[in-house]
Amino acid sequence: MPSLYRLHRAALCAAVFGVAAVSTASAEEIIIGAATAQTGVLAPYDQPALAGLRMALDELNAKGGLGGKYTVKLMIKDTRSDTAQTATVAQELIDAGARIMITPCDADPSISAGQLTQPLGIPTLTLCGSAPVLTGAVGDVMFGTYPADNVQATAVADFAVSEGKKKVFLLTSPDTTYTANLPEYFGKVFEKKGGAVVGRGTFTMGQPDFSAEITNIKGLADKPDLIMTAAYEPDFPAFIQQLRGAGVTIPVYGADAIGTPTIKALGKLVDGVVYTAAGYAEPGSKLEAFNAAFTKYAGHAPESTYEVNGYEIGLILDQAVKTAGSDDPKAIRNAIANLRDFEGITGKITYAGTNRMPLRPVALMRYEGGEGKHVETLIPDAADVPAP
Amino acid sequence: MIAQQIINAVSLGGVYALLALGLAIVFSIVGLINFAHGELMTLSGYALLASLVLGFPFPMAVLVAVSCGALAAVAMERIAFRPMRSASVTSLLLTSFAVSSLLKVVFQNGISARPQAVAMPGWMTGAFSFGDFTIGVGPSISIVVSALALIALEVFLRRSVTGTAMRAAAEDFDVVRLMGIPASRIIATAFLLSGLLAGLAAMLWVAQRASVDPLMGFTPVLKAFIAAVVGGLGSLPGAVAGGFLLGIIEVLLQATLPAAIAPYRDAIVLSGVIAVLLLRPQGLIPAVRVQRS
Repeated sequence: MPSLYRLHRAALCAAVFGVAAVSTASAEEIIIGAATAQTGVLAPYDQPALAGLRMALDELNAKGGLGGKYTVKLMIKDTRSDTAQTATVAQELIDAGARIMITPCDADPSISAGQLTQPLGIPTLTLCGSAPVLTGAVGDVMFGTYPADNVQATAVADFAVSEGKKKVFLLTSPDTTYTANLPEYFGKVFEKKGGAVVGRGTFTMGQPDFSAEITNIKGLADKPDLIMTAAYEPDFPAFIQQLRGAGVTIPVYGADAIGTPTIKALGKLVDGVVYTAAGYAEPGSKLEAFNAAFTKYAGHAPESTYEVNGYEIGLILDQAVKTAGSDDPKAIRNAIANLRDFEGITGKITYAGTNRMPLRPVALMRYEGGEGKHVETLIPDAADVPAP
Repeated sequence: MIAQQIINAVSLGGVYALLALGLAIVFSIVGLINFAHGELMTLSGYALLASLVLGFPFPMAVLVAVSCGALAAVAMERIAFRPMRSASVTSLLLTSFAVSSLLKVVFQNGISARPQAVAMPGWMTGAFSFGDFTIGVGPSISIVVSALALIALEVFLRRSVTGTAMRAAAEDFDVVRLMGIPASRIIATAFLLSGLLAGLAAMLWVAQRASVDPLMGFTPVLKAFIAAVVGGLGSLPGAVAGGFLLGIIEVLLQATLPAAIAPYRDAIVLSGVIAVLLLRPQGLIPAVRVQRS
């Protein structure tokens, strides 16, 4: 029905120009577009991070906005954890006048949104996507915020070597860059430092049954003393349940995506599992103060370090607008890219000299008796970190 | 090693068989592939979680969860499918998708988008060994429960009046109605049985996965659909055969494929399904009255 279509288009034009008119009317307002997952598999990661960002922006707005000058209007649209839908809502947000874009906790949807923001020079920050290939795949507007996969993997490998681990089995899934590459980065560092990769296995995300893979692990002639995987929920609980159920007691190490309440609630099943976080709330630390403030703000304690990471995104944007002295997207982008030793909540954050994946500390944690216990916090040696 | 993988295959195949059977029972009578079958599993999973959180003893919690699955299936028929009874097969199919999407959103927004850990009792992660051969308690329970459920269903269908009526309805529903047997009762029983099977399958599924999440029903219903089609749509022995075949092929491929080819596992499985259907277009054990959804 062409006439109806035309009508639709007219309505759309009116809507777009209407919004444009509003955004020019109030010059002291800056729109941040958040194309994030409120439903679907990424929601458990995006939602906590977004909650942290909202808290930061609410606090900043109370003090006059970004750089003390630009009141933030945060526009949130649901991507339904779907890559194509992410591009659609990112376009809607751009049309609504977004000058900064926030994208989901995964590389693929972030890249699809980045394809749209790159030509316009709109700085784009992923909430907690940590694939180091992410920023290169998009271009100079794309920034990671969470410790990158290769940095996390190096930290875990350094720790495993220091514990005297010699032989590792890598369990990967080709379904996402995170699950495919992180264990391989680990393998590279581990081998360089004298360890050996004695076997590799794969799984499909959402796979119901790991028994065949586990039987293969049991049948290895060269027995591993460690299993490294980047599987997360619901695959990680399934894997470890079936692994322990088959009588295999080899320790399993992972990365940030298993630092969640769901994994913690597995209790005894995950005893000894090592994972990473963006920081650890030592008594008297800034992070401890943040956790208390967040609990007051949200009515519940932070579930993970994604909240504080989201909060730090707000602080980074505030600093960048302050440095840029304007709300021009290109000036903000340059200010973020030149950030050096910025005092966040979890430690110092540096973008200058990186490929826009930040240099920042990694906290190593271990589950014991249903609690995440802090092991150590370190910034891996840049020379050890494998290339993306 | 080989014996171990056979146990793995039978254990997975048993769960697929229960699922496929749940789909096939409803299909044989109503001609509907109920894609909301997976959400019945999800619901049972959450019911198990809730019962455990409320402090019910484990066997009691399992009982509550399985009954929830069965009752939800009957409710689903009453609310969503009964008003559509005279509608076309396509409308029924779309209704089942709608029910499925609706329930997923309700779970996501009403409970949590995040998977919830289900603490299974410690003995379920145990294993017992004969020489250098270990069998997990989980897979063993899986095999025993699937076998018992299949036998119980067979006895019900062969020996009881309702069971006989259901077998007759699968062959010719109109004649069964002419014999004075109420259609609603037959259909409600079919849904009740499919819900029971979904509930049982959910228990085995959750026991192996240690968590429930809003989207957990998707993969099982897909596997069940494949198994039911391979076995012969609407044929109950076919669904069981299809389920076991699918489980065996999946475990076999996972066990033997080299790491470089392993990511193509699902593609290879589905190619196998196409090959089976080319050789036997009506499935392994075709239904008496062949219908196509």
